[in-house]
Amino acid sequence: MMTRARTALAVAGAVLLAGGCTVANSGSAAGADTLQIVLPEEPPTLEPCDASLTATGRVVRSNITEPLAEREPETGKLEPKLATGWRQTSPTTWRFTLREGVTFHDGTAFDAKDAAFSVSRTLDSGIECNVDGYVFGDSEVTAKAADGSTLEVTTGKPDPILPLRLSFVEMVPTGTDTGSRVREPVGTGPYRIDTWNQGINLRLARYAGYWGKAPDYAAALYTWRAEGSVRAAMISSGEADIAVGLAPADGAGDHAVEYPNNETSYLRMDAGKPPLDDLRVRRAVNYAIDRKGLVASVFAGLGKPAGQLVPDGVTGYDPDIRAWPHSMKRARALIGEARADGVPVDTKITIIGRNGIYPKAAEAMEAVQHGLREAGLNVEVKMLDVNAWTEYLLRPFPEDAGPTLLQAQHGNQAGDAAFTMEQIYGSKGAQSSYGTPGLDRRIARAERAAGRDRQERFAEALAHQGEEVVRDAVLAHMKGIIALAPRVSYQPNPASGDEMRLAAVHPAD
Amino acid sequence: MLTFLGRRILSSAIPLLVVVLGVFFLARLTGDPANLYLPLSATQEMRDAFSAKHGFDDPLPAQFAEYLSQVARLDFGESLRTAQPAAEAVLRAFPATLQLAGITMLLAVAGAVVVGSLAARRPNSPADRIAGFLSSASASTPDFWFAIMGVLVFAVTLGWLPTSGTVGSAAWVLPVATLLIRPFGVLVQVVRGAMVTALSEPYIKVARAKGAGERRVLFRHALRNAGAPTLTVAGDLAVGLVNGAVVVETIFGWPGIGKLMIDSILQRDFAVLQAAVLLTSLTIFALNILIDICYALLDPRVRQGAMA
Repeated sequence: MMTRARTALAVAGAVLLAGGCTVANSGSAAGADTLQIVLPEEPPTLEPCDASLTATGRVVRSNITEPLAEREPETGKLEPKLATGWRQTSPTTWRFTLREGVTFHDGTAFDAKDAAFSVSRTLDSGIECNVDGYVFGDSEVTAKAADGSTLEVTTGKPDPILPLRLSFVEMVPTGTDTGSRVREPVGTGPYRIDTWNQGINLRLARYAGYWGKAPDYAAALYTWRAEGSVRAAMISSGEADIAVGLAPADGAGDHAVEYPNNETSYLRMDAGKPPLDDLRVRRAVNYAIDRKGLVASVFAGLGKPAGQLVPDGVTGYDPDIRAWPHSMKRARALIGEARADGVPVDTKITIIGRNGIYPKAAEAMEAVQHGLREAGLNVEVKMLDVNAWTEYLLRPFPEDAGPTLLQAQHGNQAGDAAFTMEQIYGSKGAQSSYGTPGLDRRIARAERAAGRDRQERFAEALAHQGEEVVRDAVLAHMKGIIALAPRVSYQPNPASGDEMRLAAVHPAD
Repeated sequence: MLTFLGRRILSSAIPLLVVVLGVFFLARLTGDPANLYLPLSATQEMRDAFSAKHGFDDPLPAQFAEYLSQVARLDFGESLRTAQPAAEAVLRAFPATLQLAGITMLLAVAGAVVVGSLAARRPNSPADRIAGFLSSASASTPDFWFAIMGVLVFAVTLGWLPTSGTVGSAAWVLPVATLLIRPFGVLVQVVRGAMVTALSEPYIKVARAKGAGERRVLFRHALRNAGAPTLTVAGDLAVGLVNGAVVVETIFGWPGIGKLMIDSILQRDFAVLQAAVLLTSLTIFALNILIDICYALLDPRVRQGAMA
């Protein structure tokens, strides 16, 4: 009996250990010429037409696949990539001259047919491309190869920022699946996919046939850890060179590098429901929030008080729009005036918060609640998970809710206020709880404009919203943290949270 | 024995069905996946097309009937997130959890039997008190705290172990230690209690009177009788681990079923969630049957009761 039990135990142990080895050995070791990056999550796929999804885009964009043009995150300027130039030949037609000598990772040459196919696959294939919804919406766009190296793109309506929109379309060869998303795409980028051990790591290898300057690292090894403190610890222990998406509490210490991350935190007010339908109350909300205190104490300095939803570098940003000053005296006076005029200022207002939208999200809303209560409003906080929160963010809004203040954060990756204004401030915008005909007109005019005129018109629309409509209480332009190991050199930019160009990472001197 | 097994299978199958039903309907009450899978600026037409493509616009009973018919064909659907078959994702993750859970339980039971038995040998002796203190501390230590401290001390400060991951045998140490700590503490207490009771029984005195050695008395006579309660508690703890060691999998980046289930809940990836719940439920169902069989083998009264 005892012998049998021992044998059974030994067999069970051996099976488990052997099994253990299958997991333990399914990774791959990294050499000195391999850049090791630890992400918060595994990319769901590497589908290029989902490159506007952060988890996908930060691996794919400009590493595995490339667009026709690339937006420089610091200046907002469009730079040539797979197109060497472009021009508008009529109000609805653009021509792109394509770069010669570019090959895909499978060795085939890149030409205008591939470019036309990539545009059509992103917009019309029915595979629910994220880029389609994010950048194009219901725009009518058709693309065709005028000749081997010229792409002609036609839009249903004049689109002054078409090249910017197309900078989100990553180029793939004709023959790429149009029926479903591809997990491992073939691109023209400086790296090709080497191995993907699902759940464990992803390795990219330098593409020998790359048309541009070869990147410094021969390979990049991505791993993922959901816990921020573990990502930070991996830098300290030498297991990773770059850790992405950290919070101040993760303890990256001297390895932490802060950067403005293009995100702006704000509270959306239900301006159609009393007491928030009164402009004085909405102004009082803005005066009652201590943005400097919020940034300094709750956000640990990772932000800058803001008065508009787009940050510097985005077309439409107006440097003259300042954050609302903190003045409890003025807030109380405005609430008092509204009360005297019969506005039901004692009505309960609910702050709909989202856990994890940014570090210390709940604490931030508690600080806001404290300020608003001090001003004389009746405010409670309700923190939700992302999906329940989205029900409040997007139309149709829950009918039995309100009045609410919705905790939100907006990131304008595209670099033009058109990607902010209509959806967030337009009367019919998907995320808009309130708009005015005057603001709608200003947005529409700005969207039709080009160049300097476009900048001025969007700035005017933003100023009008901030002074006359006051639909929001904008809180802060946020900052992100990445951690860098001493052996690498990388300067994060406002787009680093959404895309990390491996070619911009170099060995430290 | 077969009747006994039949009854146990039947009584375990009902909760299994309830769980599968509950997960299907409750998951669909938590919001529209289109809000998560499409960009915020997507048009209503895009949202409608998404819902129609994935069948979310059908009435719930119709969706459930479709799900059952797919399961009958062993088709568990496709992940909304990764565009891969849900069964593939689940079958990839489950062995990782099983291996972790298996090794942990093996070490926990073996360690607890030795420590608990030695502590029970002389109640209130220094060894017993030390074992009692350690097991209480171990059973009440929060696993997330232990894991983070383990990373800080053994990976960052001392550099002896990797912080996380699955590459190399050393990567197993912290996850297994974190998972082990609570079951070990609980089992030491159970083994000790059961052994103290068993060692005070008359047959132990008889065994000693007949000249049986202390090791034989402890591990042959007393332990066999203390085995039943230990097995019950160990079974419960094993079920918890098979269900997914979420904290350990999240902190150490272990690609197991617990993390997969949590992610699929948060991301409303219904197909993966349903496949994961079904597989873990079936495994727990099988584990419960196995525990019942062991229980019946250990304790003749259970066998006789079942046959009566």
